[in-house]
Amino acid sequence: MSMQKAVDNNRSSNAGLSMDNQEKLLADALQNVRQHAFAMKRVLDQQSVMEGLKHAANMLGELRTSLLSPKNYYELHVVVVEELHHLELYLTDEFEHGRGSHDLYEVVQYAGNIVPRLYLLITIGHVYIRANELPRREVLRDLVEMCRGVQHPLRGLFLRNYLLQCVKSLLPDTEEENQEASKTGTILDSLDFILLNFSEMNKLWVRMQYQGHTRDLQRREQERRELRILVGTNLVRLSELECVNVERYKTIVLPKIMEQVVSCRDSIAQEYLMECIIQVFPDEYHLNTLNEFLKACRELSASVNIRNILISLIDRLTAYSTRDGSQQNIPENIQLFDIFSEQIAEVVKSRINMPPEDIVALQSALLNLSLKCYRDQFEYGNKVLENTRKIFDNIALDTQVQTGTPAAKELVKMLKIPIDCYDILDVLKLNHYKLVLQLLSYRERHTVCMYIINSILDKETIIPTAEQVTQLFELLLTLIIDQTDSALETSRQTITNEDFVEEQNLVARLYNNFQAPNDPDQQYHIIKICQDTFKNGGLERMRFTYPPIIMQAYALTFRYKNIREQDEKWEKKCQKLFQLCNQLINTLTKLETNDLPLRLYLQGALAASEIGSENAETIAYEFFSQAYTLYEEQAGDTRAQSASLTLLIGTLEKVTCFAEENHSTLRQSLTQAATRLVKRPDQVRTLLLCTHLFWSAQRLNESTQKSEQVHDNEKVLACLKKATKLTTQIMDQSVQVQLYNELLNTYIYFFNQNLPDIDITLLNSLIEKLQNEMSKISSNENDEFIRNQIQKTFDYLRQQSQLEKFQGLQINN
Amino acid sequence: MLVLVLGDLHIPYRVSGLPHEFRKLLTPGRIQHILCTGNLCTKETVDYLKTLTADVHIVRGDFDDNPNFVDQKVVTVGQFRIGLCHGHQIVPWGDIESLSMLQRQMDVDILITGHTHKFEAFERDNKFFINPGSATGAFNSLNSSTTPSFVLMDIQQASLTLYVYQLINEKFTVERLEYRKA
Repeated sequence: MSMQKAVDNNRSSNAGLSMDNQEKLLADALQNVRQHAFAMKRVLDQQSVMEGLKHAANMLGELRTSLLSPKNYYELHVVVVEELHHLELYLTDEFEHGRGSHDLYEVVQYAGNIVPRLYLLITIGHVYIRANELPRREVLRDLVEMCRGVQHPLRGLFLRNYLLQCVKSLLPDTEEENQEASKTGTILDSLDFILLNFSEMNKLWVRMQYQGHTRDLQRREQERRELRILVGTNLVRLSELECVNVERYKTIVLPKIMEQVVSCRDSIAQEYLMECIIQVFPDEYHLNTLNEFLKACRELSASVNIRNILISLIDRLTAYSTRDGSQQNIPENIQLFDIFSEQIAEVVKSRINMPPEDIVALQSALLNLSLKCYRDQFEYGNKVLENTRKIFDNIALDTQVQTGTPAAKELVKMLKIPIDCYDILDVLKLNHYKLVLQLLSYRERHTVCMYIINSILDKETIIPTAEQVTQLFELLLTLIIDQTDSALETSRQTITNEDFVEEQNLVARLYNNFQAPNDPDQQYHIIKICQDTFKNGGLERMRFTYPPIIMQAYALTFRYKNIREQDEKWEKKCQKLFQLCNQLINTLTKLETNDLPLRLYLQGALAASEIGSENAETIAYEFFSQAYTLYEEQAGDTRAQSASLTLLIGTLEKVTCFAEENHSTLRQSLTQAATRLVKRPDQVRTLLLCTHLFWSAQRLNESTQKSEQVHDNEKVLACLKKATKLTTQIMDQSVQVQLYNELLNTYIYFFNQNLPDIDITLLNSLIEKLQNEMSKISSNENDEFIRNQIQKTFDYLRQQSQLEKFQGLQINN
Repeated sequence: MLVLVLGDLHIPYRVSGLPHEFRKLLTPGRIQHILCTGNLCTKETVDYLKTLTADVHIVRGDFDDNPNFVDQKVVTVGQFRIGLCHGHQIVPWGDIESLSMLQRQMDVDILITGHTHKFEAFERDNKFFINPGSATGAFNSLNSSTTPSFVLMDIQQASLTLYVYQLINEKFTVERLEYRKA
């Protein structure tokens, strides 16, 4: 084509690139194609080969256009190839029936225009080879050379693609020539063919970059990317050849491909093709050509994104090496770590403008390789972490990586890799891990720490020694103590901040995984370490972190008791633990709510009682009275007070280590406290609970050193009478009746316990009273419920009245 | 109708989480109701239960951080009135007579309580008493060896099948009990 025509075509192609115009052009072209195809098929039906070829040539003429965008050209191409297939089938059929024309290959060379000519040559050549009309080797060589005639990038690419697809099954894939048919060619010829086709296609593809105006550069690059698969198909075809082995790949295939990739100096081509090579050829080949491949990487153009290529390769080889769970796929002599470590260093050195996030991404891939391929050799992973830290130290010493930057994101990704690969006990062996963690700003450190804790909890990893706990705390410091670079003001680190609560609860949960199952002394050590660490976190954090320590300390006293035969110091150790808990709970009382400290003290009293060590009574009494003091401070919150008192009573009923003196003091205090509650119904109900303190509660008999039940019937009755009296003072009749019912039930309880002075007569009088009171209340819904409750009591009594014990019970129906 | 009954988890005060054998079993969409005896103790665990089903009933345990949970609840499933209470409010703790009193007061067919960290299921005067134990096997001063346990009730009209899931010496066991309402 003359220069002028080329320019004209370009201009008109720009004009033709508006959407509507393109649609119309394509539609017109397709219509023409179909018309010619129809004509072709019609004359072929009449056995007119020459006429058929003429129509085919006309049809193929549509592919000469410069006006269509690559996408639309592709659509046209698909239809044309489909129609061309008919011609191919016809000719093949003719040959199969011995009617084939032998000179078509020559004849077609006289077709007027080169594009139709070449398509026809390829089609016929294909048929002739299959029919053994022409020697395969010669024809293939011929065709791949002749395609040079089309130098227009778009047309050339599609033409050569058609060539490749056509000869797909014809490419010789044998070591030696086929003896029967002559000149069939060998694998070497196929390699020549494809490699030449590939080279030429790549050249055309690169040339597209420079076609047209600079202002359309972005569009052209996009169009180029759309066509990349056409070039890549050559590489795929190469990988499908069976006679290509490692040796051939190394000596023939790869060098030729690399030559083209490096020399074309086009970054789009280089990026795509390097990636394509990695994906298309087996990992075994890559292992054997690492040096060659990496050398070529170094020679790539400066704007190529080498990071992704290297990472792609490293990741593939990492996956290959650990396939099937074994680490034996890599031969001994290939030290992957060293090779890539060096390579990355080279790349980083040579590309001075490489952004830090790319460097980190490369280090991440290398870390991944180290942890997966050299699983038990921590020095590799450590080395990578150390180098990463060094890189940033060289940029700016003692400076944090700014939050939210790509570099920060890559560092976070990097730090997650060991957490995912190993359990935390192994991660702690990577002593340079914290060096990299320290590079990050508050927000990213926070993210990593949360990730670490969640990983430990999900994997249910136990951390069994104080030393490991200490090491872990070094990593998690961001969550444990106030950070100088935290964006949060201290006022936001309270229970009103949901995120803060979530985070601290996570730390609390983690604490429970610090367990030394067979070594109570080690457990004690852990407790001390944690207390020392957590106390620096401020009261708002201690609210969350202290309770689990305290509960674990109580549990530890039981473990010491279990080994008392082997450890003569067990009682002293328990004492120390209780003292520690006392101290910790005391700190917690500074928080505005007394609920938790109170309950923790009561748990301590219970534990001391059950342990029964030498100072158990003193400790239990101390804890109990502390709880009582806290209770008194709750005056003003009636609901909380009532709940706390109930708990105090329930606990005392179970604590068995108090001698009479202490027990008596406590019994009295709680009973009096019950009468001092603000609301009458609370007073009554709590008094009813207190009755048990005088009955089933146990105190220590100092002479026998055994616990006995109090069984003080007088006091029980006194409580009941007091409760009854208070009930009479209630104004709300419904509530009053309900309480009479509860009173009756309590009397029945003690009647069943054979308390002296509670007899059938007493029960009968209570029943009568209740029946009277019942008639006074209304019949609204709430009162119906109360009535029902009373009925249930009466039903129960009726049932019991069958028993001998209940003889004489007057319960009418 | 499947009803999950569990409680006394004590997360994070005494344990770090539910045993993974239990977590694997408890998947969303299979349970219609959850009855929780309390002592979860934090919102995180409440939210977790709500992912299993929408109908979650919780009563107040002595260590729950939410002061607004009620002390007692009655829920009707099938033909059963079910009462729910943590149990630390019942003195003496775990006393059968006192529990019977509570059952009468609440007028329920089934009374579910916790606090002792010990699984129990028995019938008394044709009323049923269930304690699902501690789902995490949390430490308890009065019960030196706590086994992680929870209960699944399958209620069809007037019949109740109880499935008890326990982790005994790290072995996962399931037991089945049946009751019928008179």
